[in-house]
Amino acid sequence: MSVEELVKTVIMALMPIFGIAIALYTVRIIKGPTVSDMTLAVDCLSYDVCFFMALLAVYFEAPFLIVCAICLALWTYIFDLYIAKYLERKELGE
Amino acid sequence: MWEIIQQILLYIGIILVVIGALCDLIGALGLLRFPNFFVRLHAATVGTIGGAVYPLFGLTLMTVACDFLGYWKWLLASGSFITALIIMITAPAGSHALARGAHRRGVPVEPKVCDFLEEDKGRGE
Repeated sequence: MSVEELVKTVIMALMPIFGIAIALYTVRIIKGPTVSDMTLAVDCLSYDVCFFMALLAVYFEAPFLIVCAICLALWTYIFDLYIAKYLERKELGE
Repeated sequence: MWEIIQQILLYIGIILVVIGALCDLIGALGLLRFPNFFVRLHAATVGTIGGAVYPLFGLTLMTVACDFLGYWKWLLASGSFITALIIMITAPAGSHALARGAHRRGVPVEPKVCDFLEEDKGRGE
């Protein structure tokens, strides 16, 4: 088995696990009793999608998808900080 | 010699990616099943550090051996390394900020042994 076949087989075998994980995170986003629960679930889902995008970049041989993953990770951090600031002071700054 | 190193990196990377996928599933299950916010925070950290940082480091090692990508494999390897570093620094900081905000908002800490932040808030600090 060549390297390409091995890597693509592993990635294809891991895709159902990521599908189940993303579905469970989505259930928590919809059910979440408080805003902080929903934010936590969106946080985990974004980092998960970030890694999934890197896997797809290897699978489809499209390396520019990794740039989107970096931007998504930074955006998630800013989202966290904004929600935390709103929860603490009830305002979003000027 | 370089081929042997590439084989070793490939297998280490595949093992890390598989472990990361399992950690991701465990984190999602914990986030769904745990009772309240401050317990769910633990599962969320398993889901981010174990489910995104470790497999991205594994992907860095794995793509070095992927010769079918041509020279783009170096872009993929460095990009996943930078992404893993960013997530490793920012995910704990974001979780701490969110926990502090939720505590200030009055989300109850359910299995509680001691809570110094609440005592400080009661004294008006």
